[in-house]
Amino acid sequence: MAGRSITKKGRRRRRSNVNIQKVKTIKLATMMIVILGLFVGLGVRLYIITRDNQNYYQKKILSQQRYDSTTLPFKRGTITDVNGTILAVSEKVYNVILDCKVMHAGEYNEDPTLTALAECFGLDKGQLLQYAKDNPNSQYYVLKKRITYDEMSPFLERKNEHNTEAGKKGNEKMGYIDGVWFEEEYIRRYPNNTLACDVIGFTGTDNNGTYGLEEYYNDILNGTNGREYGYLNDDITLERTIVPAVDGYSIVSTIDANIQAICEKYIKEFNDEHTDEHREGLGANNIGVIIQNCNTGEILAMASYPNFDLNNPKDLSAYYTAEQIEQMQADDTYYNTLNQLWRNFCISDTFEPGSTAKALTLATGIETGKITGNESYECGGVLQVADRKINCNVTRGHGTLDVSGAIEQSCNVAFMKMGEVIGAKTLVQFQRYFNIGLKTNIDLAGEPITSSLVYTESTMGPAELATSSFGQGYNVTMIEMSTAFCSVINGGYYYEPHMVSKIVNSNGDTIKNIEPRVLKQTISSTTSAQMRQYLYASVAEGTGRSARPAGYAIGGKTGTAETVPRDKTNYVVSFIGFAPIDEPQIVIYCVIDKPNVKDQAHATFATGIVKNILTEVLPYLHISRTEEMTIAEQEEINNILGNIVQENNSETQGEGEEGEDTPEDEEDDNEEEGNGEPFYVVDPETGELVDPVTGEKAEMNYSVGDEDNIQTPPSGN
Amino acid sequence: MAKRPIKFRSSKHNMDYVLLTVVLFLVGFGLLMIYSTSSYEAAVEHNDSAYYLKKQATSTLLGFVGLVFMTKFPYKLLQKFDVLAIIVSALLIIAVLTPLGVTRNGARRWLNLQFTSFQPAELAKIGVIIYLASIIQRLECVGKNVIRTPKGIAIIFAPPAVIAGLIYIITSNLSSAIIVMGIAIAMLFVAVPDYKWFIIGAVSITVLVFLVVLYVSGADTTDSGFRLARVKAWLEPESYSTDRAFQTLQALYAIGSGGIWGKGLGQSMQKRGFLPEAQNDMIFSIICEELGLFGAMAIIFLFIVLIWSCMIIANKTIDRFGSLLVVGVMAHYAIQVILNIAVVTNTIPNTGITLPFISYGGTSSLFLLMEIGIVLNISKHCK
Repeated sequence: MAGRSITKKGRRRRRSNVNIQKVKTIKLATMMIVILGLFVGLGVRLYIITRDNQNYYQKKILSQQRYDSTTLPFKRGTITDVNGTILAVSEKVYNVILDCKVMHAGEYNEDPTLTALAECFGLDKGQLLQYAKDNPNSQYYVLKKRITYDEMSPFLERKNEHNTEAGKKGNEKMGYIDGVWFEEEYIRRYPNNTLACDVIGFTGTDNNGTYGLEEYYNDILNGTNGREYGYLNDDITLERTIVPAVDGYSIVSTIDANIQAICEKYIKEFNDEHTDEHREGLGANNIGVIIQNCNTGEILAMASYPNFDLNNPKDLSAYYTAEQIEQMQADDTYYNTLNQLWRNFCISDTFEPGSTAKALTLATGIETGKITGNESYECGGVLQVADRKINCNVTRGHGTLDVSGAIEQSCNVAFMKMGEVIGAKTLVQFQRYFNIGLKTNIDLAGEPITSSLVYTESTMGPAELATSSFGQGYNVTMIEMSTAFCSVINGGYYYEPHMVSKIVNSNGDTIKNIEPRVLKQTISSTTSAQMRQYLYASVAEGTGRSARPAGYAIGGKTGTAETVPRDKTNYVVSFIGFAPIDEPQIVIYCVIDKPNVKDQAHATFATGIVKNILTEVLPYLHISRTEEMTIAEQEEINNILGNIVQENNSETQGEGEEGEDTPEDEEDDNEEEGNGEPFYVVDPETGELVDPVTGEKAEMNYSVGDEDNIQTPPSGN
Repeated sequence: MAKRPIKFRSSKHNMDYVLLTVVLFLVGFGLLMIYSTSSYEAAVEHNDSAYYLKKQATSTLLGFVGLVFMTKFPYKLLQKFDVLAIIVSALLIIAVLTPLGVTRNGARRWLNLQFTSFQPAELAKIGVIIYLASIIQRLECVGKNVIRTPKGIAIIFAPPAVIAGLIYIITSNLSSAIIVMGIAIAMLFVAVPDYKWFIIGAVSITVLVFLVVLYVSGADTTDSGFRLARVKAWLEPESYSTDRAFQTLQALYAIGSGGIWGKGLGQSMQKRGFLPEAQNDMIFSIICEELGLFGAMAIIFLFIVLIWSCMIIANKTIDRFGSLLVVGVMAHYAIQVILNIAVVTNTIPNTGITLPFISYGGTSSLFLLMEIGIVLNISKHCK
């Protein structure tokens, strides 16, 4: 085109070029107008959307954000015994929730999700498919309730593996496991089932304790729920905040689970022995045992029977047939029956204490100086008081008795005479000193007010004075009697009974130590020392003889109280005692309400239980034997010890059979169970214990550590 | 690099810096918006809030290398590759069917190149532009009205139609097919003096669309295909709010809630899980939510400036091939921007179209920047 002359053809080309240029310009302009028009149209559309819908769409956006606050549950505190054994604990459990909407967000998610659910939780995949089909937008469907972490974790692992695999290239059609989440919840578990059931009480899912420590310490055990919630800040942006849950405080009880178990074992044994013996039913209406540290007021064990499984408190099948339960549900006695079962006999039920109260009467007499200890009483088997004749426990009479003899023989006549000397005013006054008729304020739910069940000075006439002095005519609870008795023998200090020694927070820091609290001095320490001698004599020489465990010197008093109506058929038999004699450490009180036997009026039912319990508990508490033992007693101990050893043997053999324990392990086991003592085996010919190494006969001053698994000794009571 | 023809060196014109500035701004703004929209999802799914930003920044960098290369590369050489470009495009689209193909979100559109993946439809667009610019110029050299004969029309339209057909059939990517055909029509429109056939075509398409809408709105969609259901969801988004129209409706919520000035950069609520993959097709709705009507209009204005600059360059360029190349690129941008905004505002049914320079997408931004490189190159030679 740079030629000197422009050819015709070149001119035409240029003309056509100009023409093409013109067409192009016009066309480009047209196109630009169309494009601009479209942009204007879109701009108008944008403007209209904003103008017409701004508020509505803003609300829509805000409404689809999640503000709903989620509750983060707190963990209720644990209840442990004095050694840290867990009595009640809250465990985190999980509810499996299916969110179909989330699951259906991915096209291929349904099959892997439902398959994994079916396989991990044993659900029916067909039903799941049907549900997902019928409710494709359901967001909250509870598939399974209260599974443990261990039950949940296989699903999480599987989800993880599957989703990693599905996330790889080319696996799009595998789909993801999605739309399943786990809602946290706590449930209360009682690892020892029936152990100390009346003392602990139970708690449902509402975190509301019923009976016992669970009820009394409800507010302390409970924490504060946390929350996760959303709110809109000043810029209308959603903020999500988590207020963490505050877990409840844990409580450390003074109960020793080992002692508790020993008590419950012998109570159960008594019950089983006498079930259906005289009448149809349990071995007694109620059996209760309290073991209390007399120098602090702490309760070491508080057991009663019938008992129930704390994990399943509404299960009555142990005591009633299915028809009976149905009948009860029909006539509205069902909850009465349950409440009867759940109430703590040891603190809630009242009864006439009977002769055990003679200890209080005598202490009152000595403390006030009205009885010196040099008196003597003539018992002819009956005493005329006002217009009534009141019988002694031995109808033919005890003859002449000194003070010690009166308590040894538990002579009613002698005590009526003492009561007369003491006088109604002083007796009532001292009953109050001993807290009889007042609440002990033990830290358990369900202690009744007993003030209307005792006499006042004005209501106590001569006859009432007479019966009161030997423990009839007024009512007490076990805990009242036990705590009063502690002060009689510990030097006169009345400690407030209590069940909890420490409150700790969820980090294990101590929040509060509950120290022993002396409320008052009931009697002087000299009177107390004198009372210990009398009560020792009562066991050594008198009615309480059968309560003495071999090798120990204990003091105590039996009780046999006739119940109303006084027709000489139904009795409350009891024994209250302390050990050791010189520096008392524990008080034990056993009450049997209407034992299921033909002739109920024998305190030996109670002393038998006490003896068995003490035989195990005293060595456990490292209280050493002080008394000579007869050959018969030694053999009895041998039998018990033999049972322990056999038990240990069979246990270790059992473990050996599993093929997991090496001989060395066995030795370790034995050392643990024998608490460092040499391990003895029973000589099959003599029945005596021999040292397996030396072959020598075992010495008797054994001390046993954990005797949880001591087998029932042969009944020799 | 090929040796430069001497006459190009004598050119005293600078390249169009307005265009370059607009593009740089759009690309930078795009990266910012990608970070804003994707950081939440990236943090949730990839544990790295800058996951998408890093990937996009890498392909943007690659795109600028391509841009610089294209500004130096003598564009006239491209005319030699016209038929080759069409054949390569077609082959690569077919290659998606081979094991090299990658399926994402239920669509098989990508080729796996080990270190990265590649969408052949994006290459096809630039391929079609080169082919059409070249073939129109060649046909015009043969004779004045050759391109208006049926044979000429066939030569011009057959290859783009085949490409569009392949894109639609093989990769089920209706939007890319529409763009390819749109580019072809726009280039032809500029090349010929006629209006009649274009107006007839536009009117008949409008009538057809109207009939389809009429039919669909009365039809029962329970057993029809997903495109029909999409149209239905377009017409009544509120009644499909949980499934098909979910994304559209959420985009509308985002646009509407932004107001005039928006909620502020980074303050979108919709990107937090409600508008899935907001950094892709729906990024414009988040721009509206965060920067409001004002921000959206500003972006639209920038695109108008971009297209306007292209138009000016196309008009000034005497060289027929170069001029038509610019027209093709201009049509490409215009169609894509308009369709994207139309989808986001629910003006047309939802098809997956990205917003040039701003939406997330590696292949797309690479070729878009290369196209800009070609335009800048041509701008150096216009009068």
